[in-house]
Amino acid sequence: MAHLSELAAEPQRLSNAYQNWYRFSRNPSAVIGTAIVIICILTAIFAPLITPYPEHVGAVVNFRERHLPPSADYWFGTDNVGRDIFTRVVFGMRISLLLALVVLATAVPVGTVLGLLAGYYGGWVEIVIMRFTDIALAIPGLVMVMAVAAVLSPDLLTSMIAIAALWWTWHARLIYSITRQTRVQDYIEAAETLGASKFHILFREILPNCVSALAVKTSLDAGFVILIGSTLSFLGLGIQPPTPDLGTMVASGAAFLPSYWWESVLPGCAILFVSLGFNLLGDGLRDMFDVEDVR
Amino acid sequence: MIARKLLASVALSTMLTATIPLSAWAQNVVTMTTGQIFRSIDPAKVTDYTDYMGVVNLYDGLTSVEPDGSIVPALAESWEVSPDAREVTYKLRDDATFSDGSPVEAGDVVYSVERLLRINQGPASMLAGVLTPGSVTAVDNKTVKFTLAKNFAPFLAVVPAIFILNEEAVKPHEGDDDAQSWLATNAAGAGPFTLKAYDRGTRLTVVRNEDYYKGFPENPIDEVRWIVVNDEASVRAMGASGELTMTGPFQSPDTYDALEGMGYKIENHPTSSTLYLKLNNQVTPTDDVHIRRAIALATDYETIREVIFPGNRLTTPLPDTFKQFHADDVPEPKYDLEAARAEVAKSKYAGQPISITLGFLTGIKYQEEISLLMQANLEQIGFTVTQAVNPWNRVTELATKVETTPAVNQIFFSATYPSPDSMFHTQYHSSAAGTWASMEWINDPEVDKLIEEARGTGELDKQIDIYKELQHKLVDMQSDVFLLTQVSKHALNKCLEGLSIIPMRSFGYDFSRYSWNCD
Amino acid sequence: MEFASFLLKRALWSLLVLFGLSIIIFAIARGIPGDPARISLGPAATPEQVQLLRDRLGLDRPLIEQFGLFVGGLMQGDLGRSLLTERSVTADIRDTFAATFELVLVTITVALVCGAPMGVAAATWRNRWPDHVVQFVSIFSAVTPTFLKALLLQILAGYVLHILPTTGRLPAGMDFSADLTGMLLIDSVLRGRPDVFFEAIRHLLLPVIALSLASMGQIARITRASMIDVAGQDYIEANRAFGVPEHVRVFKYALRPSFVPPLTILGLQFSALIGNAFVVELIFAWPGMAAYGVRAILQKDLNAVMGVVMVSGVFFVIVNLVIDILVGYVDPRVRIRGRR
Repeated sequence: MAHLSELAAEPQRLSNAYQNWYRFSRNPSAVIGTAIVIICILTAIFAPLITPYPEHVGAVVNFRERHLPPSADYWFGTDNVGRDIFTRVVFGMRISLLLALVVLATAVPVGTVLGLLAGYYGGWVEIVIMRFTDIALAIPGLVMVMAVAAVLSPDLLTSMIAIAALWWTWHARLIYSITRQTRVQDYIEAAETLGASKFHILFREILPNCVSALAVKTSLDAGFVILIGSTLSFLGLGIQPPTPDLGTMVASGAAFLPSYWWESVLPGCAILFVSLGFNLLGDGLRDMFDVEDVR
Repeated sequence: MIARKLLASVALSTMLTATIPLSAWAQNVVTMTTGQIFRSIDPAKVTDYTDYMGVVNLYDGLTSVEPDGSIVPALAESWEVSPDAREVTYKLRDDATFSDGSPVEAGDVVYSVERLLRINQGPASMLAGVLTPGSVTAVDNKTVKFTLAKNFAPFLAVVPAIFILNEEAVKPHEGDDDAQSWLATNAAGAGPFTLKAYDRGTRLTVVRNEDYYKGFPENPIDEVRWIVVNDEASVRAMGASGELTMTGPFQSPDTYDALEGMGYKIENHPTSSTLYLKLNNQVTPTDDVHIRRAIALATDYETIREVIFPGNRLTTPLPDTFKQFHADDVPEPKYDLEAARAEVAKSKYAGQPISITLGFLTGIKYQEEISLLMQANLEQIGFTVTQAVNPWNRVTELATKVETTPAVNQIFFSATYPSPDSMFHTQYHSSAAGTWASMEWINDPEVDKLIEEARGTGELDKQIDIYKELQHKLVDMQSDVFLLTQVSKHALNKCLEGLSIIPMRSFGYDFSRYSWNCD
Repeated sequence: MEFASFLLKRALWSLLVLFGLSIIIFAIARGIPGDPARISLGPAATPEQVQLLRDRLGLDRPLIEQFGLFVGGLMQGDLGRSLLTERSVTADIRDTFAATFELVLVTITVALVCGAPMGVAAATWRNRWPDHVVQFVSIFSAVTPTFLKALLLQILAGYVLHILPTTGRLPAGMDFSADLTGMLLIDSVLRGRPDVFFEAIRHLLLPVIALSLASMGQIARITRASMIDVAGQDYIEANRAFGVPEHVRVFKYALRPSFVPPLTILGLQFSALIGNAFVVELIFAWPGMAAYGVRAILQKDLNAVMGVVMVSGVFFVIVNLVIDILVGYVDPRVRIRGRR
């Protein structure tokens, strides 16, 4: 079956894509954001190859070289047991990105599907789903995540579950509002008249309309999820040592302020760097797709 | 400088640059930081070092303890022990008064002990089976007699932990809980200080009781403020601003260095507090003595003592501050990875991957560092290591069952009363099993028998022999890894004098022993 | 009349949210592995004590009845006992809430008072340097973790410049207890203690800056966007044509409707703000409810955790209700179609 929405859009499609790309590439924040995100992802993937002391990820101690300031040997200095902070920051980036990936890979599909259902069917489906998200959003999120993380044992999986359990509501709400607007369009009604299956209408006709908004939101969210994850681990609710985690490293280094500032400030800047990248990328995508109300 | 000038031009400048008028205090005020909250100031409920810190200043006992461990008069001016060591009679000082001015009488002592036994928490555990209701009687107004239910050699050493309450002041507030709710926020004692402000989670402030029956040294401390500060950075910040007078003994080495740079004096005192790796003798793999020995041999004692946590050597379960009881012939433990490997080979777990759990306390820097060091070394000799970080109340919960107690546990222990019995009974006797202090789960009838024998005998020579034998036995079993005895470090304002370490919980923080020797 | 029914609707909705909140908290409290009674009493409890609490909580009864008991307890302000402090969680929160409330209130005020003019400036000088500065600040304040901001401020103002205190609400030596409202700024004025007021402000500065930057940036950003939006609308153009002076145009006609989006965004931001208060109180050793909550979380003090979450939730819902009413007051259209 042909996709009516695509047929309608087909003639403009190529030039649109080109136009989009042109706008994207002329947008400084988008370009910088993309560059940062790519750098972060590449360093995370190739972490063992580009770090000078990959063995410092685990339980390695070298008390003779503890608390060394940044130098040619140790770019970010060493921590309280003598491990290279740069190495640990790069590996910590891995954990942060993994957290964002897993959380969004769970929350986005769940939120999207529920948002589509609520928006398309209306009635009690809408009431149940949307009232639930309204309530969930009316509760301070980080506090809730902390409570969940607190009753479970603190580790990476717990943080992921806790964050994902709340995060889908944002996506449900976004997709819901787009679906509501799309549902009444002519081509959807045409497809319904032609007897298209509900599945087809939801996922082939309506969903494509959400893609741009979804991309913007997901990119912005990646940054926020990383921030929240690092806040959890800063409070001691995230992944446990010796596995390197940026938030944990900041917390542990903070005990040595102000003398050994690099132990907390530099991992903190790494978090700033990643979340800045996703934020700029999201901003750039927003300008490109012109979806002003997605935040 | 430029930044300062800029700010100075702002209207807020006076506010920003104002400093605290330190010299404005006419009185000698000590501000001391502590890392834990004061859970209780009720003398029947105090347990840890922080709790005792408050109570030793607010209350007095019949006797007190000196730095060398000797028992000295306090509310009681003298005491007599019957020939069979079952009866001890204390004679109260005539001039002993509570902080409200009323005299301390024998009835107050009886009341305090009975209440302690009824509530059966905190210090009561030291007296379990020794004193029972009715054991303490008032012979006359100023004489009180303790009748012991069984022979208990360390009794005299335990008495300073029985703090005397002002019965008259407490009675009206007794309610249905023995005045527990009232004494949770009020004090009614004969101590050198009286309660000024108490906020369980954040601070405790006491002021000098001018009429204290024992008097004060010259230039006494007028007010003591304990502030609960959980992190090192805040302690340093208070040092930088001059708010701090004295730290507790558990700061990181870096903090002491930083404070020394700010003009504080650092005092080092050897203590009888000991740091162990308590090995669970009943779970895999530490149920095998060879594995326990391997862990002991894989421990880098020198790095721990010199870099991570200031300490002196510890060779047996008993710190050598208990001079006459210490088994000096036990050799110092060695760090030798080759020998450790050989021990692993001798164990029943040889040739297979050995998983092991290292437990330590949440948020305690030195414990995390020691645990990492252990992990690094143990991985080299073939262990697979998991770190188990738990908060204190979780540790106490895990310790209640043998199967939930981790294989290796970092535990600090200090004698609650100045007798070796405090070290052995609480940690190694099977009747004490199931607490954080006895995570070894030794459960050895011979060890039990020796501990009881030492308790029951009045002869010092015999006690010495038994305690030495016990040490040999426990070292042989490698019940624990004996890491170190703490060298307690405090940072103090240069003017503050009088800090000494007393082998009884927190008695060294009795500020009637301190003085302020500056203008 | 129309406004009254709007108020009623909003209030009912808030009640519904609170009900939802209590369900979620109940689910978490009962969903944890292990016996809730055992956990909330701690390791020292005897089996009899555990059974007593099990009876009181109705743990052996059907779930729906348990929930009834739970909500009944909440209504009476019974949040159970704290393991950490060994007294009632309600009392603990009562003692610590004022410090958090003061911090949050000052933060919101600062965020609004600084953020809105920043937005106005950015919109007025669009694409000139004030605009760029505001954009820069709002992006960086949003992507910097709050704990990093707090630590950097501490290093800079506390350790390098030595101009501001880095911990607590008052100097350790200061003899003052805020026993009227619990808020130092108010109590010090009522008691006529300018010295305390002065010190309280000095101690508030760093935590408030750390906590307000993110909201400030967002408010500036939204104000800017809505100013630009409103400025393009017909009635502003008409004013211009009628010769209404520039400052009147900006402040009277453009600014008032522009207040709606910043207020709305504040409602959303407030969620993050409460969460971040936990971090800020921890770093600045602020003796508030959030710091108490962090300790409770780390020490697995279940009743205290649930109490703090509940109170933060109620606080959040009330603030949003107030904002809704304000927005409805400023912008009558909202009364009909709802805020979001």
